[in-house]
Amino acid sequence: MVSKIKQLSLGVLLALTATAVHADIRFNGFASIKAGSTLSSSDSLYGYDKEVDFKNESLFALQVQADLADRLSVTAQLMGRGENDFNAEFEWAYLTYELNSQTRINAGRLRTPFYRYSDFMDVGYAYDWARVPNSVYNLDFNNLEGVSLVRFGQLGTVDSTIQLIFGSYNGETNITPAPADVSIDRVAGATWELMQGNFSARLAYLTGKLTMVDQDGELTGLLGLLEQSGFAETAHQIRIEDASSTFMGLALGYDNGSLVLGGEIVRSKVKDTVIPTQNGYYVSAGYRINSYTPFISFESRDNDGKAEIYQTLGSGNPFRPAVEGVVESFTIKRDTWNIGSRYDFHPSAALKVQFSSQKDKVSDQRDQLVTVGVDLVF
Amino acid sequence: MKKLLLAVLLCVPTLSLADMVVIAHPSAADISEDEISRLYMGRAGSLMPVNLPDGNPLRDHFEQELLGRSPAQMKAYWSRLVFTGKGRPPVEVATSAEKIDFIAANPNSIGYIPASDVTDQVKVIATIAQ
Repeated sequence: MVSKIKQLSLGVLLALTATAVHADIRFNGFASIKAGSTLSSSDSLYGYDKEVDFKNESLFALQVQADLADRLSVTAQLMGRGENDFNAEFEWAYLTYELNSQTRINAGRLRTPFYRYSDFMDVGYAYDWARVPNSVYNLDFNNLEGVSLVRFGQLGTVDSTIQLIFGSYNGETNITPAPADVSIDRVAGATWELMQGNFSARLAYLTGKLTMVDQDGELTGLLGLLEQSGFAETAHQIRIEDASSTFMGLALGYDNGSLVLGGEIVRSKVKDTVIPTQNGYYVSAGYRINSYTPFISFESRDNDGKAEIYQTLGSGNPFRPAVEGVVESFTIKRDTWNIGSRYDFHPSAALKVQFSSQKDKVSDQRDQLVTVGVDLVF
Repeated sequence: MKKLLLAVLLCVPTLSLADMVVIAHPSAADISEDEISRLYMGRAGSLMPVNLPDGNPLRDHFEQELLGRSPAQMKAYWSRLVFTGKGRPPVEVATSAEKIDFIAANPNSIGYIPASDVTDQVKVIATIAQ
């Protein structure tokens, strides 16, 4: 399956170059240049510390779109992120076939539509915050290889957009918090967005089979020892292998041209593994005054590690400290306040200033961050 | 930018808002403002909307009046679709005269122009209410 997808990606590129002579080709792009610094040297947040950093969240992207004949087009988006030293990678690469004016099919490397802003979370110009709320937008696997169908429609006076998506993902993430290989097979999902006048709503539901294996082998080694020592059930409760996973999201929005309100709540579950139910939400309010949009938002994340996994081991069990360490690494409780403003100082560029204050309720530590940045589209 | 905005604001009253019309090929039927709005937002429809360039005062005025969005908001709106494979902005021509030629040659297209620019090459299918 993986090699097939790679061939497909290659096919997309070949199609792009082969038709370059006579296809209608368009270039678009976007960029963000952000600088951030925490308020004190003991703080760290979103990859920033006290030293002013211009690289961490900056990015550049160039999109090439070629219209082939008969409602077929190919799109490739090359993005370089500062955190990866601006090494460019294909963030998106897909074919689009327009079945009709209301229905389009995309196939290739796509964005997984977990969140309301998933599709354009990298396009800072498309929203008012300095970054999408991390308490909700925290999955490491944003893309997949697969196929998606998008259908626009009307239900009376309500505009409806339905997206169905199928595919799979292979990549890297962190657990416990060591680097790990992750794969999600058989990703299947649906999103439904409704808009009427100033109101909008979005529902998302996705499922998949999740496998995670730590690269340094520490967790895998622990699971092996547990099994050899007669605690196979504990190992089974921890192991993340072909685990049934579900993701649910609900977002609501209101925008009357001046007042901008939005909120999103998500919950994900990975059945019979060490990964606990993950909960996150944010609420945000902004007000446009000419070119300025000051805003305030609150976000919260609340994951309780599955204590029952190590509690069944008994207090004298030699494995208990290690198992407890693994389980509790999944406990995350954070509240974050953000206040800032967008300033549209140019038709294609917005300046953003944002102050974020995050309280980690597990370590009882507060981290504060100021970010200043410019987002452009071209 | 402020100067530009000011210039746009100063221009708008002289355009006389009631005088903007939506035109189509002579064979076209009338359509509603809702339908026009959907077309210019890239949300379905069988007709092809034709736009003026970025920063054109008539375009800014049209988008503010009919779509209820400022130029920056429109730019943000399209950036949500263009970079995600969900849609593309309308084709653009430089002037009202070019728009009339384009629409006269493309039976499935529509466009907005000042009422005073209408010629017999095209048919007025809607008047943008003030």
